[in-house]
Amino acid sequence: MSDDLQRLDRDGALAEALGPLAPATRRGVLRTLATAGLIGSAAALATAGTAEAAGEPQGDVAILNYALTLEYLQSAFYTEVERIGSLTGETARLARIVGGHERAHVHMLLDVLGRHAVAKPSFDFHGATDSQDAFVRTAVAFEDLGVAAYKGQAPRIASPAYLAAALAIHATEARHAAWIRRIAGILPAQSAFDQPASATHVVDVVNSTHFIVGRTQAAGMPGFTG
Amino acid sequence: MKQEQTGTAQNTASRRAVLSAASLVAGGILVGGVGAPALGSGSRLGDAEILNFALEMEELQAALYAQALQHAGLTGELEQYARVVGGHERAHVAFLRQTLGSRAKAAPAFDFGDAVTDPDRFAAAARVLEDLGVAALDGQAANLTKPSLAAVASIVSVEARHAAWIRDLLGELPAPTAANPAEGAARVMAAIGRTGYVKGSA
Repeated sequence: MSDDLQRLDRDGALAEALGPLAPATRRGVLRTLATAGLIGSAAALATAGTAEAAGEPQGDVAILNYALTLEYLQSAFYTEVERIGSLTGETARLARIVGGHERAHVHMLLDVLGRHAVAKPSFDFHGATDSQDAFVRTAVAFEDLGVAAYKGQAPRIASPAYLAAALAIHATEARHAAWIRRIAGILPAQSAFDQPASATHVVDVVNSTHFIVGRTQAAGMPGFTG
Repeated sequence: MKQEQTGTAQNTASRRAVLSAASLVAGGILVGGVGAPALGSGSRLGDAEILNFALEMEELQAALYAQALQHAGLTGELEQYARVVGGHERAHVAFLRQTLGSRAKAAPAFDFGDAVTDPDRFAAAARVLEDLGVAALDGQAANLTKPSLAAVASIVSVEARHAAWIRDLLGELPAPTAANPAEGAARVMAAIGRTGYVKGSA
């Protein structure tokens, strides 16, 4: 667990849930990737696919609905903090711009999914939008988590068009993460390699926050039962 | 791009880089003939070609940071940025070389001019190369096999973090768009060619 995250996440819930993600050591990544058999090994790919499948969204629609739920969460978070007006200066500017991006991501995913889109849940941010301090440490955790979540799903997306869209969002989330980390006074880029996160792990993290208080279950979706 | 160098000398010097890009796009016309890469099917680039393309981007970035740290008299957070990010780029180079093994191409020679002696020129150059790195890797993602895609994805978000950091230091928006643009190999190599930084194979 990184000291940075501990410093930011004073109630410890996110830090606990994020434990397996941080720190992303180079050795760890190299070992993982070497094990996966990097270049064109169909056998290694098949093995990896089988090993990771349990608890993961199956198929592009389920993956995009999982992404949509994370984007609903982020966009609601930024929209609420802006409505409350609890931020000032550069942090307020970040919330306005990043919030606009997250709302755009929601619309991109809604456009793609059409009638297959999961409904927007209800949220309760339990004070995380009430102060600049609470906002910043929650935003750091959620942006880093968003990067890891998209990275975890990118190799599982079948459609090249959906993959391109997911990667365009993935890189933008990484830019958000770097920006809010710099505002928080921690390194914008902590490691040479960002680690992916499985949907199982991301759902555990989100559930640990209890930010999602009501939801509509979509077929094939991992449960968000906060 | 602010610091594009359009002088005749730079254009001449970058010709080999552009030729190299053309061979990359054609998917199999080898220039220099060092370690024939495994070619992808049809017009798509194979993993080894794409990872060599990524390797050249990473070599370019790593050299920029190493030389600027030596010669540009960087101070404060810009020095920290160059030190931290330079370390990441060296790790990316080592990782890609290890992955490619005997298929890894030799690093070209670079000449960064005043981008490694003047802090402002350095910052502007870093901004261009980091934004370009993200767009270049994302532009090849759909052509990669899934295991290679996972590897490149672990690098591309770090490049995006670098880009956001240097943009913030320059007073530019760290995240200018909701959807980060991707670029094809030809446009990326043409953009690198215009910088004049690549002087040909070592």
